[in-house]
Amino acid sequence: MSFFILTNNPRVQKLQEEGLEVLFSEASYVGILQQARDMIHKGHRLLTHPLSGSVKPKEGPYKSVMLSSNQGALDRESLELIENAIITTEKFPDKSPYWTPKVLDDLALVDYTLITSALPSAQA
Amino acid sequence: MKLELGYIDINNIEFSSESKVENGTLYVNQDAITKMILEDENIKSVKLDIAHPGDSVRITPVKDVIQPRVKVEGPGGIFPGVISKVDTVGSGKTNALRGCAVVTAGKIVGFQEGIIDMTGPGAQYTPFSKLHNLVVVCEPVDGLLQHDYERSVRMAGLKTATYLGELGKAITPDETKVFETPSLKEGMKLYPDLPRVVYVQMLQSQGLLHDTYVYGVDAKRTLSTMIYPTELMDGAIISGNCVSACDKNTTYHHLNNPVVQDMFAQHGKTLNFVGVIITNENVYLADKQRSSDWTAKLCELLGVDGAIVSQEGFGNPDTDLIMNCKKIEGKGVKTVIITDEYAGQNGKSQSLADADPAATAVVTGGNANQVIVLPKLDKVIGTLDYVDKIAGGHEGSLAADGTITAELQVITGATNELGFNCLSAR
Amino acid sequence: MSLRIVHYINQFFAQIGGEEKADIPAELREGIVGPGSAFQAAFKGEAEIVATIICGDSYFGENESKAKAEIIEMVKGQKPDLFIAGPAFNAGRYGYACGTIAKAVKEELGIPVLTGMYIENPGVDQAKNDVLIVSTKNSAAGMRDAVSKMAPLALKLAKGEPIGASIEEGYIPNGVRVNFFEKERGSQRAVNMLLKKLAGKPFTTEYPMPNFDRVEPNPAVKDLAHATIALVTSGGIVPKGNPDHIESSSASHYGKYDIEGVTDLTEATYETAHGGYDPVYANQDADRVLPVDVLRDMEKEGKIGKLHRYFYTTVGNGTAVASSAGFAAEYAQELLKDNVQAVILTST
Repeated sequence: MSFFILTNNPRVQKLQEEGLEVLFSEASYVGILQQARDMIHKGHRLLTHPLSGSVKPKEGPYKSVMLSSNQGALDRESLELIENAIITTEKFPDKSPYWTPKVLDDLALVDYTLITSALPSAQA
Repeated sequence: MKLELGYIDINNIEFSSESKVENGTLYVNQDAITKMILEDENIKSVKLDIAHPGDSVRITPVKDVIQPRVKVEGPGGIFPGVISKVDTVGSGKTNALRGCAVVTAGKIVGFQEGIIDMTGPGAQYTPFSKLHNLVVVCEPVDGLLQHDYERSVRMAGLKTATYLGELGKAITPDETKVFETPSLKEGMKLYPDLPRVVYVQMLQSQGLLHDTYVYGVDAKRTLSTMIYPTELMDGAIISGNCVSACDKNTTYHHLNNPVVQDMFAQHGKTLNFVGVIITNENVYLADKQRSSDWTAKLCELLGVDGAIVSQEGFGNPDTDLIMNCKKIEGKGVKTVIITDEYAGQNGKSQSLADADPAATAVVTGGNANQVIVLPKLDKVIGTLDYVDKIAGGHEGSLAADGTITAELQVITGATNELGFNCLSAR
Repeated sequence: MSLRIVHYINQFFAQIGGEEKADIPAELREGIVGPGSAFQAAFKGEAEIVATIICGDSYFGENESKAKAEIIEMVKGQKPDLFIAGPAFNAGRYGYACGTIAKAVKEELGIPVLTGMYIENPGVDQAKNDVLIVSTKNSAAGMRDAVSKMAPLALKLAKGEPIGASIEEGYIPNGVRVNFFEKERGSQRAVNMLLKKLAGKPFTTEYPMPNFDRVEPNPAVKDLAHATIALVTSGGIVPKGNPDHIESSSASHYGKYDIEGVTDLTEATYETAHGGYDPVYANQDADRVLPVDVLRDMEKEGKIGKLHRYFYTTVGNGTAVASSAGFAAEYAQELLKDNVQAVILTST
C-alpha cells in the first residue's frame, strides 16, 4: 500500500532521504492528530494507531502518523480512532517545561522507532 | 506438558564473600555479579544495592523486575532463546526464589518512569515493595545509543537473575506446585463436562522501550500463536519494556502470570484450562487486525467456551483489546477482559481509548491518573533526576522537601493489566 | 459539638397525607419529623437533625423555582453542615424533588448534600452526576437498609472526609472513577467473572462500556426532487433576540420557527443562542450553521422538493442527552405529521 508519514519530528522527516514520502509539519502533538483527522475527512486512511506507544500523549512534542496515499470514501474506523486519540490526549498534562535537549532527543528517537516499527508491514 | 515448580522462600538478602542460599537468606557476592555484568563492554559501571520491605528506600527509574529461577530437571533452561538455548521449556522441574527479585534501574531515556517505594503510601501500590530486592544500577559507556543501553540493561538483569537462580538448584523447595496441561484430546476426555477456557495474553510490541521477546523473538514480528502456560514459568516471555511503569508487564509478572495461576487453580474443578494464546500489540493497524483475527480464529479452532484477555500498556493496546474481545465474542466465546483506566485526575474522563458493547465483562486495575503524594524517603537507589519528567509527574512534582506529587502511573506495576493486584476502580 | 443537619422530606413521609396533600407548600419544622429519627439514632450523637423541611411533591414540581428559593432560604437560616433529602425510594416525583433541591443547596449554599433513591427512580438520571445518591430498595420497607448506608456516608460528607468508590460507599455510580482495593486480585476476579458468564449467571462488570446510543441510518431518500426536507440544529440558531429564551447551555427546551419566505438568514434577522463556541461567524451569517440559503437554491433548482416551513432548534452545549432525546421525540412526531421525508441535522 502506498503511504506517507505525517510528522512533526525532524528525525522522522529524515526518512525522506530514504525515499519515503514524509509530510513535515511544525504542528504540536495534538495539532498533528488534528491534521490527520482533517486528512481522514478527505478520504485518507489511517495506517498506524495514532496513540502509538505507551509514552503518554503530550509527554513529548513529537507525533508521527502513517496515512494511505490513496483517497477513498471516508473511513469511519480511521475517524473513530483519531477522534478518540484526540479526546484521550486532552486528558494528559502538558509536560513541555521538561523538554530539555537530551529529553527531546530521546523522545524523538522513541517516536521514530514507533513509526518505523510499522515500516516492515507497510512495505510488505 | 507438566512442570513441578518448587518455591524456595527467601526472607533476607545480604552481601557476602560467597553467593549461596542458606536458611532463607540469599547471600550475594557483589564482585562476582559486577564482574559478570561488566563483561558487557557497553556498561561502564555497575552498582548493586539491597532494598528490604519496609526500608525507607525509593528505587527509580526501574526498568525490569525479575524473579531468580533455575531449571532443575527437564529440557532447556530459564529464559530460552536469550540466556539459555532455544530448547522448549515448561516441563520437568524448576525452582524459584520466592520473596526476592532482581530490579534493574538506569536512566535509559530522559523521561523514564518507574518508582518502587519500599515503605509509605507508594508501597501499597507496587507488589515489589513486598520483596527483598537486589537492585542493579548500570551506567552506560559514554555515547552509547539508547537501543544498545536498553539491551545491555535487559541482559544484565536476566544474567543476574539466572546467576542467583542457579544458587537454588540443589535446595529443597519450601513448597512445590504441579502444573499440568493435557493435550486437547486428553483434556476433553478428562473433563468432558467442564467449560473449556483459554487465556489470551497480549504482548506490548511497538519499538524501542516497548518490546517483548518470546524465546528471543521480537513479538512484533510474530503471528498470534499458542504456548503452554508452564513455558511462561520458565521465562519463555521476557520484557524489554521501559515505559508505562504502572501497566507494563515486567519479566517477574510473566514468570508469575496471575491469570495462569488462577486458571490453573480452577483447572479440573470448575473449568478446563486449555492453554495460552499470545498475541501482539503493534503500531500498524493492519497488524492489529491480522493479530486479532488470528486470535479469534485460534479460539474457534480450539473450540473453547470462554476466554480471558489481558492487556499491556496504554492507548493503542486498548484498540487491540477491544478488537480481540469483539472478535472472540463474535465466535460465540464468552470473554472477560482485564485492563486499567486513564480516567483523568478527576476520574471523570472516558477511561479507555476504545470501547465496544461486546465488552460486557471488564476487570480493571484502577485509574492510573489518580494523584498520589509520595513523601521523601531516606535513601534513593538510582536517581531522582527524572522524577519531574516522568509520566504523570508535572511541574513541581518533586518538591524541595523531597516529596513527590504524581499520578499513580509512575509506580511500577500499580495498575497491572494481568490482574496482579487488588487495586480496582468504580 | 455535633454536626448540624437539615433533612428534607415530602408530605407522605411527614405523615401529613398522600397524593391529596401533595400540594402543600414548603414548611420548616424544628427538629426531627418522620424518618429523621432513624437517621438521628444512626448518627450516635455525632450529628443532629436540627430542622426538617417538608414540601408536597406537586407543590415542588409545579412551582419549582419558587419552591427552590423558599427551601434554600430555610436551609440557609439553619447554617447546617449537611443537607439530606429523602430517601425517596421509587417515588418518581419525590425523587425528582430530592435530586433537584439537593443539587440546588449544594450549588447555592456550598454545603455537602446527600440523597437516596431506588436505581430505577426517574430522579436518579437527572441528579446522579451532581449529587451523591445512595442506592436504596424500591419501597419504604427498605428504610432501615437505606439509613444504614446513608448515615455513615452523611457523616463523612459533613466532616469533609474523602469518599470512597461507589461500591464501597453504596452510592449510585456518578461518572467519577475512584480507586479502591478489592479483596481479591484482578486475575481471580476475572476468573470468577468468566465462570459466572459461562454459567449464564448474573455478573457485574467493573467498567461499564460508555453508553452506545447508535442509531442505524435510515435508507437513502430515493426521490429527493419531490421530498420535503426539514432543518434541525443543536447549533442554537434562533430569530434575532432569542424570543423563546433558549439557554446558552443546558437547554431546557427547543424552538420551532417559521421560515416561510425566508431565503437567507442575515445578521439582522438571526443569531445563535449557543454559549459553547465563538458565535461571531454564526451571528454574521447563521446559514453557516443552518443552511437555509443553500436549501432554497436547491429548492429553486429542483434538486429537492421543498424546504419544510419550520425549523427546530436547541442548544447542544451541556444539554443532557435525555433532554435532547425528549425534544427530538416530540418534534419528530410533528415532522412525521407534516409529511417531512428527511431531516438535515446540523451541529457545531
